[in-house]
Amino acid sequence: MQPFNIRPDQMAEEMLDYSRKLGKGVQNLLNAEKIDTGVTPKVEVYHEDKLSLYRYEAPGDVVQSSVPTLIVYALVNRPYMTDLQENRSTIRNLLAAGQDVYLVDWGYPDEADRSLTMDDYINGYLDRCVDVIRKRHKLDKINLLGICQGGAFSLCYASMHPDKVKNLITMVTPVDFKTPDNMLSAWVQDIDVDTMIDTLGNVPGELLNWTFLSLKPFSLTGQKYLSMVDVLEDENKLKNFLRMEKWIFDSPDQAGETFRQFIKDFYQKNGFLSGGVKIGERVVDLKNVTCPLLNIYAEQDHLVPPDASRALRGITGSKDYTELSFPGGHIGIYVSGKAQKEVPPAIGNWLDERSK
Amino acid sequence: MSDSPFWNEDWMKTQQKYWENWTDMSRKAMGMEQPAKSPLESAMDHWWQGISPSTTDFNQDFMGKMMDQSKSFFRLAESYYQNAGQSKNWLDAANSTIADLQQMFSGGMDNVFNGAETAGDDAMHKMMAFWEMPMDNWQRMVSSLSLMPGDALRNMPHTDGLDRFLSAPGLGYMREEEGQYKRLMQRMAEYQRALGEYSRFFSNLGLLSANRLRDKVQGLVEEGKQIDSARGLYDLWVSSSEEVYGEQVMTPEYAKIHGKMVNSLMAVKQKLSHMVDESLGSLNMPTRRELRTLQDRLQESRREYKALRSEVELLKEQVMDLRKPSPASAEPAAKQAAPVKKAAAKKKVSKKKAAVKK
Repeated sequence: MQPFNIRPDQMAEEMLDYSRKLGKGVQNLLNAEKIDTGVTPKVEVYHEDKLSLYRYEAPGDVVQSSVPTLIVYALVNRPYMTDLQENRSTIRNLLAAGQDVYLVDWGYPDEADRSLTMDDYINGYLDRCVDVIRKRHKLDKINLLGICQGGAFSLCYASMHPDKVKNLITMVTPVDFKTPDNMLSAWVQDIDVDTMIDTLGNVPGELLNWTFLSLKPFSLTGQKYLSMVDVLEDENKLKNFLRMEKWIFDSPDQAGETFRQFIKDFYQKNGFLSGGVKIGERVVDLKNVTCPLLNIYAEQDHLVPPDASRALRGITGSKDYTELSFPGGHIGIYVSGKAQKEVPPAIGNWLDERSK
Repeated sequence: MSDSPFWNEDWMKTQQKYWENWTDMSRKAMGMEQPAKSPLESAMDHWWQGISPSTTDFNQDFMGKMMDQSKSFFRLAESYYQNAGQSKNWLDAANSTIADLQQMFSGGMDNVFNGAETAGDDAMHKMMAFWEMPMDNWQRMVSSLSLMPGDALRNMPHTDGLDRFLSAPGLGYMREEEGQYKRLMQRMAEYQRALGEYSRFFSNLGLLSANRLRDKVQGLVEEGKQIDSARGLYDLWVSSSEEVYGEQVMTPEYAKIHGKMVNSLMAVKQKLSHMVDESLGSLNMPTRRELRTLQDRLQESRREYKALRSEVELLKEQVMDLRKPSPASAEPAAKQAAPVKKAAAKKKVSKKKAAVKK
C-alpha cells in the first residue's frame, strides 16, 4: 500500500475549505473584542504592595468547610488559570465541593520590586496572608493548596511554619528538580544566573515565554494556530482559545532576587532533596512538614514531569501522604472537562476527611 | 506506476487544470490580477493586508501567527503538489518532498544565519522558515529586551582579524574609553559566535527531522496506514520535528550551547548598561547602579518595618488578652495571684516596647 493518498482535487478542496474557514472565522475574531477571565465572584480581603488576597463567594446552597483553603499560585503567569471560565474553573468546583477558598494574587512586579527575596514572598507576604485568614476564622491552622512553583513555596512555608498549616495540597509541584526528563532543568544548568539577574534586574516575562515556548516550538508556536482554523467558526470555542492565548502570554516579570535564589537553590542545587536551603534566617527541612499531604501530578506534564512531583513521597515528616495522578498535562489539570469532574471533588473529599 | 485508478496522464492533466483554475480564481477573488509564483500565499497576504487594519492589536498579533503557520502549511502542500506533478506515482512524490527537505537542511540554515539566503518564491525554500521558529522566538525575545528591533547583533562580522584588533591595547589619553568600547565589541563578537553555534545546532536538526519523517512514512507503510490530506502530511512533519528537537535539546551539548548564548547576551547587556551608567554619571544624572542600591536599602528597611509592625500587632493582641478579665479571676483563691501575673506581663511588654523603640 502507498503511504500517501492525496489526490490533487482533494488537496485543492482541502485548501479551499481551509481558506473558507479562515475567511469566515475572521469575522468572529473581529467581534471577539473583550476576553473575560476570572469568572467567580470574589472579594479582596487584604492588600499589601502589589499583592491581593481574595476570598471567593460560595454558592448559597453549599455548606462550607470550617477550615478555609488558601491557593498559592506560582509567580509565573497569572492565577486566573484556576478560574478561566464558568465551565473551566477549579475554584468554582472547589466551592461546589464545600471548600472555603482564598487565593493570593502576587500582582505584576516592576523594577522597584527587584529586591524582593523568597524570604519576602514566603515568610513575608504569604505568612501575612495566612495570618489574615487565621484571624478572620479564629483558627490556628488553615489548608494550603500550592500550584507549581506555588507548591514549592507552600512546601517551604509548611516546613518553616508547621504550626499554621492543617493540610497541604501540592499540584503539579516540582520536588526533584533534576529528573532526567526535566527539559527546563537541563537548560538552566549552564546559565549564569548571577550575571543574568545583575544585568536584567527583574526577569522579563518575555524571557519566560520564550523558554516555555521553546519546550515544544513547533506545536506551541506553529501547529496550534493551524488547528485554530477549525474552531474559528464556533464563537464559543474561539473565545475559549483566546482566553488560553491571553493567559499564556500574560506573563509577569519575575522579581530578580527571588528568581536568582529559586533557580540556584532548586533548579541547580536541587535543594528539596540535597538540603541546605535557607530562606531568610530559617532552614527549609521537609521533615518538618508533618501535616497530611495530598500530592497531585499530571501524567503528561511537560513542564513538571511526574517523577519530579512524585519525589515528595517519603521525604517529608508526614504520616498521611496521598498521591493523585491525573491523565493530562500541566494546564489540562485545571481546564480540561475531565479535570473539572475529577480533581476538585477529589480535593474536596480529601480535605473534608481531614478538616473535621 | 501507482495502482491507483486515478493515476493516469489524462486525470493528471485534468487535475492540473483544476488546480490552476482554482488558484487563478482565488487570486481574482482577492483582487489580484498579476500572476504570482505562489498564488495561495500571495492571495492570503493580499486578503490579510485588507482586513488587518480593522483588528485590535491582540487579534492582529494572534491572526499574524495564524497566517504565518497557514503559509507553512500551504508551502508544504504546494511543494508536495509540485513533486506530484513531476513524479510517476504518489510514493515518488512523497520521496521527492522528503529529499527536498533533506537537501534544504544540509546547508540551508547556514545561509539563513549568514544572511546569504536568496529571497525566492520557491515553496521549499520558504519552508525553511518553519525550522527558524526556535530562532525566530529568540529574536523576538532579544528584540523585547533591546531598544533596537530584532536582534541587531545577529549579522555582525566576527572574523579573526576583528578579534586581533580588539585584543590590541589602547594608547594615549583615551585608552580607557577605547578599552571600554573594545571590551563591548569583544562581548558582542562572543555573543554572535554563540548565536552561530545555536543556529547551526538547529540546521542539523532539520536534516534529522527530514530523516525521521521518512522513517515515519515507512512506518505507515508497514502498518498499512495512509496519509490522505495535506494536513496529515503537515502534522507528520511537525511531530517528526518535535520528536527530534525534544531528543536533541536534552543533551549536555545543547545545554552548553543554550547557556553560552544566554550568558553571552547578558554579558553584552551588562557591559552596555555599565557604559550607559558611566555616561549618566558624567552628566551628574542618577545611574541604574545607584537606583538599585537605593532599592536594596529601601527593601531592607521595608522588611524590618513590616517585621516590627507584626511584632507590635502581636504584642497589642497579647496586651488585650491580658486586659480581659480571666474567668479564674472571679475565683477568690485566684484573686491574689492575678495582679502579680498582670504586673509581670506589663513589665515584659514594656521591655519589648523599649526594644522596639530602639
